[in-house]
Amino acid sequence: MEGNKTFGDVLQSLPKQVLYIILIVFTSVPLFFPVKVPNQPLESSIDLYANLMSVKPGETVLLASDWTNSTRGESLGQFNSVMRILMRRGVNAVIYSTGDPQAPRVAQDAIAKLNVERIAAKQPEYKRWENFVSVGFFSNGEATVNGMATSVRSSFNGKKDFAPGRGLTDVFESPILKGREKVADFPLLIVITGSKTSNITVERLSGKVPIAFAVTGVMGPETGNFYQSQQIVGFASGLKGLYDLEGLMEDGVNNPDKSGNVVVKSSKYGPIPGFPGEKNDGQGKRYYPTLHFAVGLLILAVIIGNVGMFLSRSGGRK
Amino acid sequence: MNLILQSKVVNFWAQPFNSQWLWTGVIGGLLFGILIFLGLMFMPAQFRRPVVAFSTFIGGAYWVLLYIFPAPIDMQKTELATGPVESVGKFLTDANPVVVSVSGTVTAFMLGLGIFSLLSIHLKRITRRQKDWAFSVVLLAALASMAFFGYADYISRQGPDGTKLDLQANWGFVNYGRDLLFDGLLQQMDAAMFSVIAFYILSAAYRAFRVRSVEATILLSTALLVMLSLMGAVAFVWNDAVRNMANGNDFLMNFQLTEIAGWIRRTFETSSLRGIAFGVGIGALAMGLRIWLSLERTGGGA
Repeated sequence: MEGNKTFGDVLQSLPKQVLYIILIVFTSVPLFFPVKVPNQPLESSIDLYANLMSVKPGETVLLASDWTNSTRGESLGQFNSVMRILMRRGVNAVIYSTGDPQAPRVAQDAIAKLNVERIAAKQPEYKRWENFVSVGFFSNGEATVNGMATSVRSSFNGKKDFAPGRGLTDVFESPILKGREKVADFPLLIVITGSKTSNITVERLSGKVPIAFAVTGVMGPETGNFYQSQQIVGFASGLKGLYDLEGLMEDGVNNPDKSGNVVVKSSKYGPIPGFPGEKNDGQGKRYYPTLHFAVGLLILAVIIGNVGMFLSRSGGRK
Repeated sequence: MNLILQSKVVNFWAQPFNSQWLWTGVIGGLLFGILIFLGLMFMPAQFRRPVVAFSTFIGGAYWVLLYIFPAPIDMQKTELATGPVESVGKFLTDANPVVVSVSGTVTAFMLGLGIFSLLSIHLKRITRRQKDWAFSVVLLAALASMAFFGYADYISRQGPDGTKLDLQANWGFVNYGRDLLFDGLLQQMDAAMFSVIAFYILSAAYRAFRVRSVEATILLSTALLVMLSLMGAVAFVWNDAVRNMANGNDFLMNFQLTEIAGWIRRTFETSSLRGIAFGVGIGALAMGLRIWLSLERTGGGA
């Protein structure tokens, strides 16, 4: 039977080991040679960036960090990019989690690494208590976010974080939470998530505060619903969204570069600056070429399989 | 009636910190909780159902009332309500943090329940030397070591100098232990598990995604266009070619890859997902009502 195989049959019966080796090569090699892939940011990513850049320095945003290990590939990069923007603009953050008990610690570790990067670049440290507080994990996300709709102060009641020289202190004694009672007292709520906490946030807090998301690629389509209905002001979806964000941090929006070229144009906004010369590249630039090749390979696999099927049907023999 | 309207209602939920009333309430609540716990333990099985049904109804009724009952606007905790409507609204609003804390605490108990269940199953397997008992030993050792180092790391960060441990240079043994277990092992193993999905997807795409019908052809073409739009380099080249060919023609500009993919997302994808969301929402509402009214006997119903 082996000898009677048509070319179509051969195309349809590639050994899975071959496929797996090709996949390993296609996804591993680009990790060692990061290249800048040409890119056109999605409108949703531009909106996210524009909203992050519109928060005034000294303001405090709510940041739901609902990601851990499983979505680290996308969420860590998104978290780092969002935090870099907040840090550089002098925007404070109240970090909470309703997604996973590990999430607050994972977020604190990420901020600690960003602080090392800032100190190395001779930039001021993003200080706990003065620039951000971590109010920790809430085991019942639905009830907590529902409670936040009524009063943030009540929902975060009794939560403590480290005050310099005082140890654990009520978070509402922090200068960044002074006078903030309701969710409407915050200019923006950012949810970085790999789970359904984004849905709960929209259901309970939509219309009460501008909401922006950074979600995984899998969650992108359903998040698009909230974006189209204007329940959220912008979002980054998966690696593509992260790559968009990193590019926007470099180029800005409607912002001419040194040679006068505007890299990213948008009719919705005036000029929004980027942060050229600073460390804007991260996981997006590192992983996006890999995604590129993986998607390309997937398309190629579908095409080969179908070509094989058509050749087999038409009866062409080798 | 005027007397009722003018009556001042005591703010039940906002007793001053460390006050006698607060402590009385805390101790009373604790004793009440112990009594309920003991009562439920020794209650005959046929009486448990109405108790669970009543608790479920009260729990659900609170959120329903909070959602639909008019809440007082900009009322401070120390202010006293005037009139029954404002009193009820204020009572519901003030009760919010308490209800959130209670529900959070109850939810947290599920973690303990999970650990108890895990321990009872795997300890039994180890003591009886059942099949693959060695894996149970590994699991329990991982659970114990992660809990130990995780908690020790947490405790080491509780002092006034806890923030110093944000820098690796100040770490001690337990901090390195947690880092090794959590960042060094758990994260990498999680990543490895998830990366396996890529192999299944590729294999499935190659073997199963065939254009055997008109519907499959439409699905495949749509999927390919959206996937291609995720490839920045392809989208860049395609868009550039269309822009050059269109020469300013607005209609032809619609054939840019990002425009086509955006149109697919805005029309087909969003509307179909919205339909699914509506269906799921209606199903959740029906199930929620059944659970709330204890009509549902499975999956947590009374």
